[in-house]
Amino acid sequence: MAVQSFQEVVSIRGSKIVLDVLGSDDIDVIFGIPGAATLPLYDEIFHSDMRHILARHEQGASHMADGYARMKGTPGVCLSTSGAGATNLVTGITTAYLDSSPVIALTGQVPTHVLGSDGFQEADIFSLMMPITKHNFRVTDVKNLESDLRSALRISMEGRPGPVHLDIPRDVFETEAPFLGLKSDPVSPQPPDPRRLPEAVKMLMNAERPLILLGGGARISRAGAAAIRMAEALSIPIATTLMGKGSVPEDHALVLGMAGMHGKMSANIALDECDVLLAVGARFSDRTVGDPRSCAMKVIHIDVDQGELGKNLPADIAINGDCRLALEAMIELLTIKVCSSTWSDRNGRIVSRCSCDIDVQENPISVRKVIKELDGFLPDDGVVCTEVGQCQMFAAHHLTIRDDRRFITSGGLGTMGFGLPAAMGAKVADPDRMVIDIAGDGSFTMVCQELATAVAEDIPITVVLLNNGHLGMIRQHQKLFYGSRFNAENLGNTDMVGLAKAFGAGAARVDDYRDIRSALEEATSSGRPYLLDIQINREEDVFPLTLRTANGVKIHKGSCPFNGGC
Amino acid sequence: MEVISMIVNDEFGVMQRIMGEFTRKRINVEAIVVGKSEIPKRARVVLTVLDKEMADIAGARLPRLHDVFEVEIVDHSRHSAYALISTGTGKVGLIGSQQEIQELIERAHPDRYIQTINAI
Ligand SMILES: Cc1ncc(C[n+]2csc(CCOP(=O)(O)OP(=O)(O)O)c2C)c(N)n1
Repeated sequence: MAVQSFQEVVSIRGSKIVLDVLGSDDIDVIFGIPGAATLPLYDEIFHSDMRHILARHEQGASHMADGYARMKGTPGVCLSTSGAGATNLVTGITTAYLDSSPVIALTGQVPTHVLGSDGFQEADIFSLMMPITKHNFRVTDVKNLESDLRSALRISMEGRPGPVHLDIPRDVFETEAPFLGLKSDPVSPQPPDPRRLPEAVKMLMNAERPLILLGGGARISRAGAAAIRMAEALSIPIATTLMGKGSVPEDHALVLGMAGMHGKMSANIALDECDVLLAVGARFSDRTVGDPRSCAMKVIHIDVDQGELGKNLPADIAINGDCRLALEAMIELLTIKVCSSTWSDRNGRIVSRCSCDIDVQENPISVRKVIKELDGFLPDDGVVCTEVGQCQMFAAHHLTIRDDRRFITSGGLGTMGFGLPAAMGAKVADPDRMVIDIAGDGSFTMVCQELATAVAEDIPITVVLLNNGHLGMIRQHQKLFYGSRFNAENLGNTDMVGLAKAFGAGAARVDDYRDIRSALEEATSSGRPYLLDIQINREEDVFPLTLRTANGVKIHKGSCPFNGGC
Repeated sequence: MEVISMIVNDEFGVMQRIMGEFTRKRINVEAIVVGKSEIPKRARVVLTVLDKEMADIAGARLPRLHDVFEVEIVDHSRHSAYALISTGTGKVGLIGSQQEIQELIERAHPDRYIQTINAI
């Protein structure tokens, strides 16, 4: 860090230091809810250009900051007061941590002289946030505030991104300290460790049945174009994880789609049959590979986080560094290769068999039909956020993320209630894009009050509510694995249209598949937050459901029409 | 028994952060000693865990912490004893044979050292 100029250093209050540092990093919005411990900062916001979006629950504020960060690729900031306000952030920060999203969580704290006395609204949030952030600070001296906040911004973006928390006692906001006006050093991607690159290229070129698996790290580092170049050069098919969805255009001939528990058969078969797997920014989670012991192939693993290499699956060749730079460096080393046409032909055949017809024209409405209509309707730069459950898996499985479309989902933590606030954050980050939240009714009702925020702050997102009156995914599992002993999954009949209207949002109910398209048009052109209450078939389950264990692969095919090939 | 030696920030909360990694990975720490190091604002943590596999898991995770600057899994194929000695400026880690360490310790005042790990 370098001092910006030789001007005389002035002393300013902590609250102003916070806003000045954020502002100098081009952060133009804070999502939060005030309280006694943060009122000094709010008074400063009153006097500044900083936009503040008043959420209705701090969890909402944290997911909004997360959606904003994922959309922009730069830090999103949420702010809460001490105690209950701070503990309400915990779900959102854990969500951001598991999906490597650069969220800055600011919590007010009781004044330093009260700290440790169990004062009013004192929670040890510094300890609570430790295991769910990349790093956190308790700023007990205002003199450290500027440098700690700068470090927080840098750490959140450096290497593998992730949330960083600052706990700031009330008196620190109110006390003056010299403001140095330090500038952040730009964060540059970490070059790959070159030592094993030649070996990795050799292993890949000698493979008979190679496969590239792209995870969230590939999406975050924008490694997609390099992955496609490598795939095209060697005719290697590409599968993605849930978090890697959208890193490469899914309409490309070599892209098999998402692998994993609710992934495409095409991707899962390739994962089973490949002899060399180039895993890029993927962490071999149980939802993607099942039991890691089921992976018999040779593995080349690229990750910017050294701690991921060998964590879940030992790699034959591990390369630490930025995914995009590593792939580009590997491409440099490629020599011309005549590739085995048996393997690429086989993948081509499997892909053609895996593109099932989801144009289900019947009532009650099929979720697949909703996804089909949405896929046809969504612009090339449309953004889809999801809640968690069947709704998420239907969207992940069937929706085609191509061109500049974005797919934003809670993959690591599977947080119900993520989609709506995340969609709002994404819309704030990029107001020109159409932003849709694909929701289940259970997830939606966990955070539905944020519709009030969307109305008040004029954030026109559309909630496509796949309303089955149940915790659908729970019901599916009770049906498949617990002898249909259904319990704790019935949500009854909430009047969702009435609920949305009570918050001031637009809303309409859809009972006929022929009305989906026009309803989407109406909602997205209304210019305001809108809920489409789509009454779907309650018995439609997500298939296939692939379980990979150490003893082999078990596939519940259900309605999945795929035949042969496995 | 494996010995891990670290240079860390000398601040409140740092031990909790370090121990969090051991909790996450279900690794029991057998013995632990912490003290100021010869480097200003840095402390040295020396601890032991049961086996090499655990030490390697911890060794891979600990460098990711922003409060941890150096992590070393002490190679006991070369050294058999480890001690921390108080010097005028802080505590210094000593690695060597049992006899070397014993001699060094005896040369210092008995109240100026902590004989940490007899385990190796
Ligand atoms: C906060 C939270 N609580 C519980 C769960 C466990 N869970 C996973 S899916 C699911 C049901 C989701 O129901 P809904 O949102 O209606 O979506 P559907 O499956 O019906 O599409 C539940 C309860 C979770 N993922 N997140």
